[in-house]
Amino acid sequence: MKFLIVGEGAREHAIAQKASETYDVYSAMGILNPGLKRIAREYALTDTLSPQKVSDYADKIRPEIIFIGSEESLFAGVSDELRKRGHVVIGASSATAMIEKSKAFMRRLMENHNMEGRLRFKTFASLEHASKYIEEFAGSIAIKPARQAGGKGVKVIADMQAYLKGEKADVKRKHAQKIVEEKMSGDLNEQVLIEEKVEGVEYTLQCFTDGRHVVPLPLVQDHPHAYEEDIGPETGGMGSISGKGNLLPFIRQEEYDGSQKLIEKVLDAIHEETGERYVGVISGQFMLTDKWGPTIIEFYSRLGDPEASNIMPLLQNFPEICEGVARQNVSNMKAKCENVCTVVKCVAPKGYPNERNIGRGHPIVVDEKILDKYGARVFFGSAFEENGKIFTAGSRVCEVFSKGETIEEAGMTVERAMTAIHSPHKLFWRQDIATPELLRKRITTADLARDIYNYRLTKGLIGKTIDWLPGIGRIET
Amino acid sequence: MAGIFGIYAFEDIWNVSRFVYYGLLGLQHRGQEKAVISVSDGTITSLTGDGMVQESFSESSLASLKGNVGIGGVSTRDINGYVGRDIVIFVDGSLLVDENLAQRILEATQSKEELVELTKIFSKIEDAFTMLILTQDKIYAARDSLGLKPLCIGGIGFDLAVVSSESSALDVVGAEYSRDIKPGEVVVIDKYYIQSEQNNSNAKAHCGFEYVYFARPDSYINGIPIHEARYKIGELLARRNKVGADVVIAVPETSIPFAMAYSNVSGIPIDLGFVRTGRHTRTAIKPTQMERMIGVQLKLNPVATAIRGKRVILIDDSVVRGTTTRNIVSLLRKKGAREVHVRIGSPKLISPCPFGTEVPPKDELIAVENNEEEIARIVGADTFAYLDIEDLKGCIKLPLCLGCFTGEYPEVTK
Repeated sequence: MKFLIVGEGAREHAIAQKASETYDVYSAMGILNPGLKRIAREYALTDTLSPQKVSDYADKIRPEIIFIGSEESLFAGVSDELRKRGHVVIGASSATAMIEKSKAFMRRLMENHNMEGRLRFKTFASLEHASKYIEEFAGSIAIKPARQAGGKGVKVIADMQAYLKGEKADVKRKHAQKIVEEKMSGDLNEQVLIEEKVEGVEYTLQCFTDGRHVVPLPLVQDHPHAYEEDIGPETGGMGSISGKGNLLPFIRQEEYDGSQKLIEKVLDAIHEETGERYVGVISGQFMLTDKWGPTIIEFYSRLGDPEASNIMPLLQNFPEICEGVARQNVSNMKAKCENVCTVVKCVAPKGYPNERNIGRGHPIVVDEKILDKYGARVFFGSAFEENGKIFTAGSRVCEVFSKGETIEEAGMTVERAMTAIHSPHKLFWRQDIATPELLRKRITTADLARDIYNYRLTKGLIGKTIDWLPGIGRIET
Repeated sequence: MAGIFGIYAFEDIWNVSRFVYYGLLGLQHRGQEKAVISVSDGTITSLTGDGMVQESFSESSLASLKGNVGIGGVSTRDINGYVGRDIVIFVDGSLLVDENLAQRILEATQSKEELVELTKIFSKIEDAFTMLILTQDKIYAARDSLGLKPLCIGGIGFDLAVVSSESSALDVVGAEYSRDIKPGEVVVIDKYYIQSEQNNSNAKAHCGFEYVYFARPDSYINGIPIHEARYKIGELLARRNKVGADVVIAVPETSIPFAMAYSNVSGIPIDLGFVRTGRHTRTAIKPTQMERMIGVQLKLNPVATAIRGKRVILIDDSVVRGTTTRNIVSLLRKKGAREVHVRIGSPKLISPCPFGTEVPPKDELIAVENNEEEIARIVGADTFAYLDIEDLKGCIKLPLCLGCFTGEYPEVTK
């Protein structure tokens, strides 16, 4: 059977690697990813955001299954055009992918359907209104472009110290201005989204779906800070971990189940709102908060990156699931995964994330013998091949994967395997991911959130905010 | 002694000067004579002041400081460091930064292998230091190979990285504590990465005085929560040298956790013994005898009803010359205390500190020549007891420098 993968990142490399165990893999990619190049029976270098070009290639190949890896292809209507031409696609339609594309759509949907795990939010079509709001209602908030912008443009400001309020209001205003001026929300009418800031531990639940049922995968936790010890600017993710029994050491089964229910509810809500069934992959980027327990930070209309690289190598019934999604029936289907822990660490060139041009175009060598020796694997991300050599493309150049009996053990294997990667340009990755110290910190944070949300549960306060204002009285939201 | 604080915003939309100001307030207990703030927005601007942080900088002077990178210091004497146009250095410790050293450090920061070069310089220094270096667009944080003085790092969201002598200042600016800078480690924070280089040193010796006196009780020093350490010390004070009494009283403020633990273990109630007049100052680190006396008198007005007719256990953190203790005991007796039993939350202070902590010369230290019984007679107490040095080690369970209590000092370069 022919399997076409659309996309050019580490996520697509990981998917293609798994698919190649069963299928003849074909690839449509925007830059020549060295990993995809090696796996693919045939590939096309093409604009993966162009519905016409991707569909033309698919018409030529006539694959039985087309898997769309990245959200931007979905937003651009690649899945729509492919389906129109009669292809079988794993990937949400552009209408249903709005759950990721528009954060305003997502927040409104959750509010209209009174879903648990929602956050208070406001949207603004102009800078003027956003600035006025920031002026009047300061507090701990996240300011985001209303549109998904590859994780860029999100600013989270804890505003707890009255004596530093002035500085923070200033930064909030300047950031809202940047979102509007740089047109980060692009084609959307709403420009700026402001939502309440929550605290806790984050985790990702990735699911295949036919729009009615989900096939949930083991939980994964990403590490968004660029530098060690959770310091530094936000990135697309610097590495991720997964544990045994589908869980992470700091998330409990009932929290996993609650998260899955939330995703199922949102699939129903999307159907109600758009009239379409969601077919493809949906992932919840969750935070275990003191407000709700499982709380939605974002939805992805695809597998996470790097989260895909943790799970793809473990998945034992990938064809069954893919074909189930293709038939639009995954009821009673379960993901069968090898019961081990995994660690993925992303390698980035100096310059990432804020000045990617500095990190672009540098040669990089990966010694596969060393990787094999340690039992690690590499998935190429922001990398391209030219004249048989591999170069960095500015973002995270590759992801190194290993499994192990414990997260710590898998992490140590990845660290050893890093000796396989060389570049004359400075590369960095987070050595603290998967260390016992960081895991302990996550457990402590999760326990704190859990204690408070359990208290709220017993008092009937879950998800509620109760204020009492002098002269006005009680306000419940 | 000094407190140092630095903050780095990864985007230049931040102005960090007020963060440095409040960070220094969170370290005020480490030095109350001088304060300094330097910030950079590509050009370094510095402001220095005399006295407390709040006296040193006005609203308008703070407003003149702009930058997304900044460091600051408070000190018990003149600021130890170097304030230049291209580089600013603040030190906590005995290392004196002269023009020559500042120049060598500046050159190292400009080399391609900056951390390697800096490590080379620092590994040869024989004095104690933690150090913050500000260049036009970077902060470097370094700690001597023994890890004598404390230094930790944390962050605020995705926006700011923070380094500080103590975690208390991280709390004040809303930062989350990540870890301690390791002995012999140099960390660089810049736009592109946070990286570090470490001397391989096994001979650690953290300053023991931090635990009994210097650090704030809400701080973590070398991973040990100060309040917990002091609480344990107080428990041990109660278990040794037992004596019958009616009330436990702390000399504010450092001794309060000792006294609380003492009271809980002994079952003797704790009471409010003193009320402060005016602002909180740290009397023991005041430079002159007169200033210390004024400080003590203002700090310690006894509450008579807590004392009159009672057998009092008086808990203090340390005894240097004995003058303050003597004054306090005499105050308690005048207010009607029947008995006064003094317990000290640190061992005998018998030797000056070569690493920058202000301990007077030997001939000014009461414990050098006098045993506990003799000191009891001098200060006018019924009984007098120090913390046993083995008990201190047992409470902290880290390799410590206890030179001021033993006269034996570790060597910085080893």
